Amino acid sequence: MTDTAGPPNYPLNCWYVIATSDEVGRSLLARQALGRRLLLFRTADGQATVLDDRCPHRAAPLSMGTLDGDRVVCAYHGFTYASDGRCVGVPSQRHVPYGAQVRSYPVVERPPFVWVWPGHPARSRGTEPPDLPPLRESGWTVLGSAREMAVNYLLLHDNALDRTHFPYVHPHRIHRGYVEDPPPLRIEVSETTVSYSRTFTPAPLIGWQHDATGLSADTEYVQRETGTFVSPALHVDEMDIIGPGQRVYRGVFIRAFTPVDSGRTLIIWRGARNYAHHDESVTARLREVYEGTMTEDQPLLEAIQATTGGAVGYQVSAAADAAAIRAYQIVEAMLADERGWAHPRRRD
Amino acid sequence: MSSGEAPSAAMLTVFSERRSDLLITTREMRAEGVITLTLADPAGAQLPAWTPGAHIDLLLDDTVRQYSLCGTPGDQHSWRIAVLLDPDGRGGSRRVHETLQAGDQVAVRGPRNHFPLHSVPRYIFLAGGIGITPILPMVAAATEAGADWKLWYGGRSQASMAFRDELERYGDQVTMWPQDTKGLLPLEQILQHPADGTLVYCCGPEGLLTAAEQRCAAWPPGSLHLERFAAKPQPEPGAGEAAEAPFEVVCQRSGLTITVPPGQSIIDALDENGVSVLSSCLEGVCGTCETRVLEGIPEHRDSLLSEEEREANEYMMICVGRSKSDRLVLDL
Repeated sequence: MTDTAGPPNYPLNCWYVIATSDEVGRSLLARQALGRRLLLFRTADGQATVLDDRCPHRAAPLSMGTLDGDRVVCAYHGFTYASDGRCVGVPSQRHVPYGAQVRSYPVVERPPFVWVWPGHPARSRGTEPPDLPPLRESGWTVLGSAREMAVNYLLLHDNALDRTHFPYVHPHRIHRGYVEDPPPLRIEVSETTVSYSRTFTPAPLIGWQHDATGLSADTEYVQRETGTFVSPALHVDEMDIIGPGQRVYRGVFIRAFTPVDSGRTLIIWRGARNYAHHDESVTARLREVYEGTMTEDQPLLEAIQATTGGAVGYQVSAAADAAAIRAYQIVEAMLADERGWAHPRRRD
Repeated sequence: MSSGEAPSAAMLTVFSERRSDLLITTREMRAEGVITLTLADPAGAQLPAWTPGAHIDLLLDDTVRQYSLCGTPGDQHSWRIAVLLDPDGRGGSRRVHETLQAGDQVAVRGPRNHFPLHSVPRYIFLAGGIGITPILPMVAAATEAGADWKLWYGGRSQASMAFRDELERYGDQVTMWPQDTKGLLPLEQILQHPADGTLVYCCGPEGLLTAAEQRCAAWPPGSLHLERFAAKPQPEPGAGEAAEAPFEVVCQRSGLTITVPPGQSIIDALDENGVSVLSSCLEGVCGTCETRVLEGIPEHRDSLLSEEEREANEYMMICVGRSKSDRLVLDL
């Protein structure tokens, strides 16, 4: 499915995760994302680079060509481009045609993520991608992977900000606090972010929590959870178990949502924990939990996508949807800003 | 749940604005009576992003004051606010000037933005005194976007006008207009020719805002965007409170109907009936409680909506607004 139903509903003036650091190397990588075909490679001095994957001459995908030093050579006629997208050579003639230029994108690499800015390059100046301390600080063990879903990215944000589907879609993954007397969901908003948090009354751990932390299955522990819509490109969950001596067993689930187009989203995710380091069996157990949860959501979300076409035109919302509704408003304000003068925002 | 039974307990949702305790990293005197405070997370964590025109609440014991963010929007590790000492004010600025020092922590709510900068090719910025604060990141953003802009900056005297040094780099795009030598900003001249594709952003004292509103009456609707630091003076409601009539408010989404008696705000009446709505200033200034109107004619008493928006009856600030019709249906 491609972008045929009007303009995309994702803002372009935003940092998106386009790849992981290990995917970008000294060969040409093609990636379809953000409604376009992109070319990724790393220069000799290690700079991750993103260009349009299309030769301006006869539209051949540059990813079918070769990397010669830091230059990309088109497979069709040998048009040659520097890493900033400038055409530096046309084999059949002495001069480079005026305007021969491949679009290059602002890139910031914060391992393990490579972030790209698909919007107005000037608007990226002075901004930075969201900071993810568990991915750069010591004291965390990180696992992760990626998957694509046939779902608009906003539906994934809606799903990530919603806790009330857990008893139905993930009943065997939750402790009793989700179902019996759930504590108030506290939703906090700022101009560009929305987060929820809640602290449960002590409850016994369920199987995977017990397996992962090694904490007793017979004791009741306080648990708390926080989830944040950091930007249209990122949702971060934190799940804490308060163990003996107030030791916090924290799991951080980081999901980068990168729209492929209006109907598909690339999810590049990481799960970080501050316990059970160097324990491969815990890593495997948690991988199953993260993957399993997404696999349980996927058929429902793809069916919703097929029903609505990805439009956020729900007929009814519940009180618990307040966080998601706020996220839609944040996105809508960003989109209105990008539409600019032709469609001024309602006010101010 | 495997038996297909639905969970029985209802979950309460509590909605609030982001609150954080921030560290004052620097305090600087920037002009006569004007200090800037730079705020950062005590642990160095990244702060939420904001856009030009955004403001935060400073929570000072029993008072809450709004201050525009006047640093660099892209900087997610520090925020900057500027505070003018107003000896005749309600005490918030005095509290900030007298008690807050570098190294102190202060509680902050937000940011939120009810004065956003729209992308257009041309801008006229009008700043009066401390009203320069939201304009400062706006001119930086307009420059980055390659827009054509002019700033007219008025103040009591040259010495009272903050950020003169930071504005120097814009050269003759900025006109400094100290009142003691030049008088009031020459709005008649500045706003003489209405222009399509040009937006006017204005922030400053009431006199400047009112004059800008009058001058922009001849401009295309929606050209003027302004932000008030204090509530706009409201016309006297006839014989005072006695002139207020009770009215009915229907909350469409929650299915609740309540009666708002004279002397009580919609937001308080809702709160008494268990409907909590985000609010902050309770004076119709900050825009936090903005609510969509589905039916009925609101009586607007806020300082945010423009004349066109008031007449459209699509939104209202329920902390101060009342109803002209007997019944008001709100999207709550």
